[in-house]
Amino acid sequence: MTTYIAQRLFIFFPMLFVISFLVYSGLELSPGDAVSHMISPELASTITAEQLDAMREAYGLNQSFITRYWIWLTSMVQGDMGYSMAGGVAISTIMAKTVPATLELSLVALFFSTILGCSLGVISALKRGSGTDNSLTVAGMAGVSIPEFFFGLVAILLFAIELKWLPVGGRLMPHYETVWDRIPNIVLPSLVLALMMTAGAMRYARSSMLDVLAREFITTARSKGMPEWRVNILHGFRVALTPVVVLIGFRLPLLIGGSTIIEQVYQWPGIGSMFIRSVRGSDYPLVMTISLMYVFVVLTASLVIDVLTALIDPRVRLGKN
Amino acid sequence: MLASSIFYSRGGNMKKLYVVIVAVLAHLMFISSVSAQPTNSNQLSDPRVRQALCMAIDMKTIGETLFEDQIIMADSLLPNGPMKSPNLPDYSYNPEKARQLLAEANWDSNRELDMVFYYGDQLTADFMAAIQAYFADVGVKMTYRLLQGDVGAQLNSVPDDGVNGPAAVDYDLGYGARAAIAMQEYYNTFKTGLNPQTPGDPKMDALIENINSSADPEVLKPAFFEIQEYQMEQVNICPLYYQKLFIYESNKVDRNGGSYGNAQYNYNWGITDWNVSGGTLQTNTGPVEFFEQPWYNLGLWIHNKVVFDRLLVADGALQPVGCSACESYELSSDGLSLSFKLKDGLTFHDGNDVTVEDVAWSIRTAMKAPQMHALIGNTVGSIKGADAFKDGSTNDVSGIKYNIEDRVISLELTKIDPNILTTFTQFAILPKHLLGDVDPLKFQQSDFWQMPIGSGAFKITEVKMNDFAKFEPFDGYHGGKAGFDIIAYPSYDGDGNLIKNAAAGKMDYGFTKNVADVAALDGMDNMGTKAVDIPYTRMMWIMQYPKP
Repeated sequence: MTTYIAQRLFIFFPMLFVISFLVYSGLELSPGDAVSHMISPELASTITAEQLDAMREAYGLNQSFITRYWIWLTSMVQGDMGYSMAGGVAISTIMAKTVPATLELSLVALFFSTILGCSLGVISALKRGSGTDNSLTVAGMAGVSIPEFFFGLVAILLFAIELKWLPVGGRLMPHYETVWDRIPNIVLPSLVLALMMTAGAMRYARSSMLDVLAREFITTARSKGMPEWRVNILHGFRVALTPVVVLIGFRLPLLIGGSTIIEQVYQWPGIGSMFIRSVRGSDYPLVMTISLMYVFVVLTASLVIDVLTALIDPRVRLGKN
Repeated sequence: MLASSIFYSRGGNMKKLYVVIVAVLAHLMFISSVSAQPTNSNQLSDPRVRQALCMAIDMKTIGETLFEDQIIMADSLLPNGPMKSPNLPDYSYNPEKARQLLAEANWDSNRELDMVFYYGDQLTADFMAAIQAYFADVGVKMTYRLLQGDVGAQLNSVPDDGVNGPAAVDYDLGYGARAAIAMQEYYNTFKTGLNPQTPGDPKMDALIENINSSADPEVLKPAFFEIQEYQMEQVNICPLYYQKLFIYESNKVDRNGGSYGNAQYNYNWGITDWNVSGGTLQTNTGPVEFFEQPWYNLGLWIHNKVVFDRLLVADGALQPVGCSACESYELSSDGLSLSFKLKDGLTFHDGNDVTVEDVAWSIRTAMKAPQMHALIGNTVGSIKGADAFKDGSTNDVSGIKYNIEDRVISLELTKIDPNILTTFTQFAILPKHLLGDVDPLKFQQSDFWQMPIGSGAFKITEVKMNDFAKFEPFDGYHGGKAGFDIIAYPSYDGDGNLIKNAAAGKMDYGFTKNVADVAALDGMDNMGTKAVDIPYTRMMWIMQYPKP
């Protein structure tokens, strides 16, 4: 296990480097730069080429691609994320504001979707072929198929506009003083996000549970006269949980990037909506930092999942053929 | 003569018919009187082709359908009003005439025109498709594409040779807009060497000089008539429509007699006298990552309007009507010097005095800061010594003199700026003591813009960036104290959340140019909209230079 983790860590940082270079190259190939986004097309006709050059020089954009990448990389290695080009705000400040917002939303959604998905998946598997199973299967297919923005808008229409039970969006308001004040704001976005993820988790848990219930050790457990709940939960569900944990683990990094649409629909000030704005504005330092964070989280999650899988299922021995 | 006598003998109706026929003939003669030859290898340099393109588009039908009857047909760059010439040629929809003109010009029907635009919305894409269909109807092929990346360079790069070209950009037609606060802005970019599509022309240069020669609108009126008529004879652009602006308000807001006007800029809207039930006005255009500095998009963001003060104040049509931060002002009869005396006792929100030194520093900084509205750029660039200050050869501007004790600042100009008073209705006074050390080239990157301080009617008291900004009435404002707070929610590149926020009662004031928003807002019980005519002309640019 230790050797395996060491091997993974050994390739971890070269992968980060390669991916960061690819992202930077992609940005370089995209049309325009930060200055061209700061100046509107209508204003550009009144600004001289010398003024634009001066701005590019001030932002270091007149340097070669490799030089800019090297400066960014060395700063990043030293822990300096730099500054957003659009407003000069320290990227660490932006991240400190947006990452917690996204994590808050994602973790709440992940919690609900995991509990709900696993429970419904197990129920569906145990009642295979029944009306309950069929209904949950149809609901699961609908959940997987319907785009989340649609669910989001329907939920707004129903709960925020018609019933006026919950806020239409946003995360904070001036009069909010405690965490409890903020709960109404997170209910809709987290439940919509959770609903979308529940469908996947439920389908996955159902398949996994059915697969396990057909195994010989389940028959053996039953033949020993164990109570059915004990067979299903302690023997069946524990083993069926392994692929579900993998799914959930992989969902954590996806959640950070994957909540972008819900953030947009619910005006949630998270990292996803900031990423969209930074890409649209060719804000290189901000795009790079957020991209790197995504990559870091995905690679870390992948490593953690491998380790967790081995811990949950003793048959898995990492690093061995 | 004979014809006249015959017609007169048939009575009044025949006389009217005669007048109409003469008018139509005169009109046709006028259209065909323009030099009917291409001036270079580009067929679009032939005015007949440009006329044909304008006449091929049925803007009336497009306006009634796509734009839900919320636009005004355009017949020149200038909006309707006192400066509009009564003698403009009529290029309204006439496909027969368009085909005839194209035939006369030997239009190459195999040529495919390349139309570019920079608005990413669906309405624009639909509009482009409509124009494509209308062009096809008269035998002109056209494709269209959305510009991305460095749009300014792709759209506005000018040729090295501003008369003969070739073009520095590679499109044939462009769809875009000009939102002007001063009428001169519509034409100044047609000066030789400044325009990416239209070759330099000594007559046009002279006409541009004329419209910039005085600060007196009555003096300028004939010059504007002449330049409009000349440009539309040449068909340097094809005016399509004038955009309206729609102000929306919830039923919580009572302006208490305050006027409505061009909300993209600053005008006397009497906000300190508004009644807002509940004591909080909710709006958009709050900050996402930072507050944008107020010299670029002059009144676009809510903080531009309420946090900063200006020397002068304008009415809803943006005409200067008197003092705001100034006690008095004086513009010399030759238009080359302007002085202001500040009101006594003005303070910034942090308690520091507003002095003429702040005004002088603001003007000097505006000379160097890159993101600047053209109106302000023209004015500060006209001040004596501005060029030397900008290129770094001097540390001060010789045309700015001030006396802190007397609260007087005088500006001396090298040339007349016809809009200098309008500029000072929009130019925000910023605090030197907080911004004095900032590099003008990185002006927007200062920490100051995380929670700016001004001397306007409201001060910023709380900012949760990308969540909300709270503004409270400022006790020290010379124009009175408002009776409500403002909460501004962030919006970026248009407010995509407007409709749902308004429907949920989370929006009390704002403005839009999106006609789809208007229809939705008007359908709500708690919201209403008011259309305002603004100088905002949508047009089609036509490339006359030879291809690069």
